[in-house]
Amino acid sequence: MTEPLLRVRDLQTYFVTEQGSGTARAVDGVSFEVQPGETLGIVGESGCGKTVTSLSILRLIPEPPGHIQGRNLLTLEPRELRAIRGNQIAMIFQEPMTSLNPVFTVGDQIAEAAIVHQGLSRRLARTRAIDMLRLVGIADPEERVDHYPHQMSGGMRQRVMIGMALVCHPKLLIADEPTTALDVTIQAQILELLDRLQAELGMAVMLITHDLGVVAGSADRVAVMYAGQVVEQAPTAALFARPLHPYTEGLLASVPRLDAPPAREHGRLHSIPGQVPAATAWPDGCRFHPRCPYAWERCRAEMPPLLDAGGGGEPGTHTVRCWLLTEPRRRTPHP
Amino acid sequence: MPALVDVQGLVKHFPGERALLGLGRPRAVVRAVDDVSFAIAPGETLGLVGESGCGKSTVGRAILRLIEPDAGRVTIDGQDVVALGARPLRALRRRMQIVFQDPYGSLNPRMTVRQMLAEPLAIHRIASGADAQRRIAALLEEVGLDPSFAQSYAHELSGGQRQRVGIARALSVEPHFLVLDEPVSALDVSIQAQVLNLLAELQRGRRLTYLFIAHDLAVVRHIADHVAVMYLGKIVERAPAPALYAGPRHPYTTSLLSAVPVPDPKAQRQRIVLAGDVPSPAHPPPGCPFHPRCPHPKKDARCRTEPPALREVAPGQLAACHFAEQPL
Repeated sequence: MTEPLLRVRDLQTYFVTEQGSGTARAVDGVSFEVQPGETLGIVGESGCGKTVTSLSILRLIPEPPGHIQGRNLLTLEPRELRAIRGNQIAMIFQEPMTSLNPVFTVGDQIAEAAIVHQGLSRRLARTRAIDMLRLVGIADPEERVDHYPHQMSGGMRQRVMIGMALVCHPKLLIADEPTTALDVTIQAQILELLDRLQAELGMAVMLITHDLGVVAGSADRVAVMYAGQVVEQAPTAALFARPLHPYTEGLLASVPRLDAPPAREHGRLHSIPGQVPAATAWPDGCRFHPRCPYAWERCRAEMPPLLDAGGGGEPGTHTVRCWLLTEPRRRTPHP
Repeated sequence: MPALVDVQGLVKHFPGERALLGLGRPRAVVRAVDDVSFAIAPGETLGLVGESGCGKSTVGRAILRLIEPDAGRVTIDGQDVVALGARPLRALRRRMQIVFQDPYGSLNPRMTVRQMLAEPLAIHRIASGADAQRRIAALLEEVGLDPSFAQSYAHELSGGQRQRVGIARALSVEPHFLVLDEPVSALDVSIQAQVLNLLAELQRGRRLTYLFIAHDLAVVRHIADHVAVMYLGKIVERAPAPALYAGPRHPYTTSLLSAVPVPDPKAQRQRIVLAGDVPSPAHPPPGCPFHPRCPHPKKDARCRTEPPALREVAPGQLAACHFAEQPL
């Protein structure tokens, strides 16, 4: 395997809460790698720590209250860090409405990164901004470059955000729920654009989303997060064909699908009982055990490590944080 | 069977505001809802689907007269809703209720769950005192919450629990008809399934009639008997759910269906990516409102000039497309 582009080892980001109700362990020992040119999907529900993970990588979490532990990127001096942020690693956010500055034209905002990181003159940076608008599929870029964000629709603003992120040709793009605020036909446009740009520019993408349908269509590998931890990590095809963590299994079964008979005809949609616990009070043992249909004593007492699930490929290709891997015969739901 | 809810020719236009502190030229009228008709049989669910700004929420609110419709007839339980005076309208509100999308914004942060559920009971003089307390406990149990939640404030509840409280509040006056305005779109997948199952159970148990407003066609498929698809204030296709999902006749429905991400990496699908954005409902395109984005290979000059009527193209299936006989 080639040298990974990004290696995250045992990332921990804790928040000290104000009312003294304890420490929120939002990200608690997350490790993964991103290879050059690949798309890693990070999937999970609200509060699982997926966004805090991405913000921590770029050190966008204020300290305090956040406290990040780890190595490499996290020990850089602010000046060294700025040389990476926006230049080698860029990020796009969920909210295209609020992530752009309303008092600058979109051209100025795209040009800024090129001026700061690559020392382009204003005139050249403006030309670059027009090129970027064209690249992300905005019609009449020469005219649009002087528009303000409020003159654009949600889909166009997200295209502008992508143009801003890609202006310095980053090696890694972190896309945090890039289509969640958009309508489904606009979502399809943006996903197609990201696919095309990735192929053209050869960058790696870290795609953070709650939507299993989006990762199925775009990611090479997927990491599923629950309660601040990665609970399963596998190549996309393997994960969807053989989800091994009970949370992944339950999540996949809960998605209302167009390609399966509707629940109206066969009764109920599958659902995971209960709800995600609070980050200040993760359950002991396996953090999923209170909602797990298979849990037994060991799950309540001991936190499982990431175990190798084998299944072809090199060791570590498919890993699962679940004791079932040591006792597969227990995979029968409690009545 | 006569319909429980019958909507004919519903229109709601919002006047354009004047620019420059009310002194400038008035802006164009926004045609939020433009001649919408449908009926829902007792105990059935109509899914009303469309993207942001298509007018689906305005339809839901206008038929309950939470906003006043400009034209059209709405009959609920045999009563003409649009013609009612204030007092009989309030009485009819016991029969029709709404659950909102945002479980964070639709509950009063200063009230306990008990107070929120007691209020409608008092307003409609249904129950008070110990009787009200009994009803509140039963309602909470019915929506899958422990009765001890009555003491809680909204901020102490999760999104799914709040939405259950919103449903309990709507059910407290024992309505026959519920408008569900994106009731699960703010919820996580695993919680969304719980709430959808609850809504289906309540419908069976109480014989409720639903107007289920949503942008997600996959969610609607699991709850709706009939589906109506809206685009720029108009219904462009309406059909029994199985027919619509198996064979959509309007190119917009086909495109919407193809754009829904499917959680299966092996799925070989032809995704139709529509060009451009939804036009502003203040300046709808002439002819067929969908023609500037329409991927249909046959689209021609007629689509640009002549608005297609919503017409029956298969038994029970209506579509507003000149080429509905040759679907995509």
